[in-house]
Amino acid sequence: MSTQTVRAPDRAALPDLPPRPGAAARYVRETLLLVGRQLRSIPRVPERLSDVTIQPVIFTLLFLYVFGSAIAIPGTRYQDYLLPGLVAQSIAFGVIGAGTATATDFSTGVIDRFRSLPVSRLAVITAQVIGQVLEQILGLAIVIGLGLALGWRPDVGPLDVLLLVGLVLLGLIAFTWFGVLMGMLVRSSDAMQGVGFAIVLPLSFLAGTFVPIEGMDAVPRFIGEWDPLSTVVAAIRYVSQGTEATGSWPLEHPVIGMVLWCALIIGICVPLALRRFRTTSAA
Amino acid sequence: MSPTTPAVETDGLTKRYGDFTAVDALDLRVDPGTVVSILGPNGAGKTTTVRMLATLIAPTSGTARVGGHDVVRDGDAVRGVISLTGQFAALEGNLTARENLVLMGRLRGHGRSGAATIADHLIDRFDIGEFRDRLIKGLSGGQRRRVDLAASLVVQPQLLVLDEPTTGLDPRSRQVVWQTVRDLVAEGVTLLLTTQYLEEADALADRIVLIDHGREVAEGTPTELKARIGEQRVDVVAIDAAGVAELRAALEPRFDVSVPAGGRTLSIPAPEESLDLERIAAVVRGSGVPIDELALRRPTLDDAFLALTGQPPSETASPESEEVAA
Repeated sequence: MSTQTVRAPDRAALPDLPPRPGAAARYVRETLLLVGRQLRSIPRVPERLSDVTIQPVIFTLLFLYVFGSAIAIPGTRYQDYLLPGLVAQSIAFGVIGAGTATATDFSTGVIDRFRSLPVSRLAVITAQVIGQVLEQILGLAIVIGLGLALGWRPDVGPLDVLLLVGLVLLGLIAFTWFGVLMGMLVRSSDAMQGVGFAIVLPLSFLAGTFVPIEGMDAVPRFIGEWDPLSTVVAAIRYVSQGTEATGSWPLEHPVIGMVLWCALIIGICVPLALRRFRTTSAA
Repeated sequence: MSPTTPAVETDGLTKRYGDFTAVDALDLRVDPGTVVSILGPNGAGKTTTVRMLATLIAPTSGTARVGGHDVVRDGDAVRGVISLTGQFAALEGNLTARENLVLMGRLRGHGRSGAATIADHLIDRFDIGEFRDRLIKGLSGGQRRRVDLAASLVVQPQLLVLDEPTTGLDPRSRQVVWQTVRDLVAEGVTLLLTTQYLEEADALADRIVLIDHGREVAEGTPTELKARIGEQRVDVVAIDAAGVAELRAALEPRFDVSVPAGGRTLSIPAPEESLDLERIAAVVRGSGVPIDELALRRPTLDDAFLALTGQPPSETASPESEEVAA
C-alpha cells in the first residue's frame, strides 16, 4: 500500500447517526449485537467448537461403555444413572467455557474497544453471559440427543420437562456468571483452563455423576454431600428419573436445593462480576 | 463542543496503583483542531493517561474533561466524542475485517445499511479491500493496524487518541499511519498521540508534552523543544586516529567540528539536514581520507531527556508499566 492510496474522505456522503433510542431500547439492541458477535465466532474457533461438541460426545461414550461396563447401580440401568449426571456436568463445565472466553476477550483488548464506545457496559457483560449460555445449550443438546440414542429413557411428563428446562437454564446462568467472574479475575485463557479444570473436574467426580456418593470413603463422601454440583446432579436425576438421594439436606431436597445454590452463586457472582467489570480493564 | 472548549483538559490528573504512581498530577490541554503528542519512554504513564481519558480506568485524584465532559461523572458523553486506538489491535479476531467495522458502526448506533456504508467507505479509504473478508486473526500486524485505525474512525470522533500507533510496525506501515494522521488533521480531527519516538512527535505534533515517571518534564512546540535539545548533526566516523586528524583539518575551515575525547567520530551541527550532509560529504570525498561511516543523526528521545532533564529516561519495570497496562 502506498501512501497515495489513502484518499481524502468524503464525510458529507456518510450517513448521520439516527436519533438515539431510550436507555432500555439501547441496552436490548446492544446486547443482541454483542451476542451476535459471539455466536458468529463459535464456528470459527475449531477448538472452542470441539469443547462443546466433541468433548461431551467423548465423555458420554467413554463413561457409558468403559465405566458403565464395570459399574452396577442397583435398581437402575447405567444409562439412566449416567445421563442426568452428564447433563449436570455439562452445566458445570460451562464455568470453564465462559471463563476461557471471557479471559480471551479481556486479553485481546476487544472488550476495551466496546467499553470505550458509548455502549452500555451492562450490555457488554450481559451479552457475554447470554452468548456463553447459548453455546453451552448447544453442547447439552448433543449430550441429551446422544444419550437418548444410546438408550437413556427419562421418566418424565410434560411438567417434568418444563421443570428440567427451567433447572438447566438456571444452572447454566449461575455457572456461567461464575465463569465470567473467574475469567475476569484470572485474565489469561490458558490459566483459566487450568484453574477451571482443577476446580470443576474433582467436584464433578465427587458429585455422584458417575458413581454413587454413598459408596465413597468418609472424606470424599462428606465433600460430595455438600458439593453444589451433587445437588445439581441430584435435582436433574430426581426430575428426569424420579431417583431420590440421601446424605445431606440439599440432596434430600434437590430441586429446592439446586435453586438455592444457584441463587447463592448468582447473588455472589453477579455483583462481583459487575464491580470487577467496571473497575478492571484489559490485561 | 464549542470551538473554545478544550478537547482535553486535565487538572492534577493522578493514577496510583498501591505505592506506585503511574501518572502524577498531570495538567494537560489539547485545543480543538490541534495535534498534541505525549512523548516518553516505556512506563512513563502514557497509556495510563489516555486510558483515563477514554474512561477505561478511573483517576485516583484530579479531574479530566474531554470535550467539556467530566470522565468520571459523565463517562457516557465522553465515550460519545472520544475514540481510542490502543497499542494492540482491539478487534474481534474471529470476525472478518468488514464484520468488525460493521459491528462497531452498529454499536455506535447506526442502522444496518448506515453501518455498511461507513464500513465500505473506510475499507476503501484504508485500502482494506483485498483482505476485507478475511478473519482478523489471520491478518499481519500491519493489516490489523489498518483495520484498527479504520475501526476507531467508525465513530467519527471529535477527539482521536492514538496510543503508540507505530510501535512494532515496519517502516512502510509507519509511513501509512503517518499519512493517515496527516489526512485526519487536515480534516480538522483533534488528535492526541502517544509515542516513544521523538521523530514521530516532531513529524506529527503541534505541541509535545514530554513525560517521565508520570510527570511532565517539558512542554512546547517541536521547534521550541528542538531548540532546547540541540540540532541534528552529521557524524563522520574515521577509521583511525590519523584519519581523525586529517578529516579535522579538511573540515574545520568550513564547519564547526567537535570530536569527543579519544573518539573516532567527528560531529558537526547540521541545521539544514541533508544539504549539510551533502556539503560535508563533498569535503570528505575531496580529502580522500577513508572513513567508516557518514550519517545524519537526529536527536533521539535519550538526547531529549539528557538535554531537558540532565538525566537519561527511566526504563522502569513498574507493576503497571505500559506493556502491562495496555
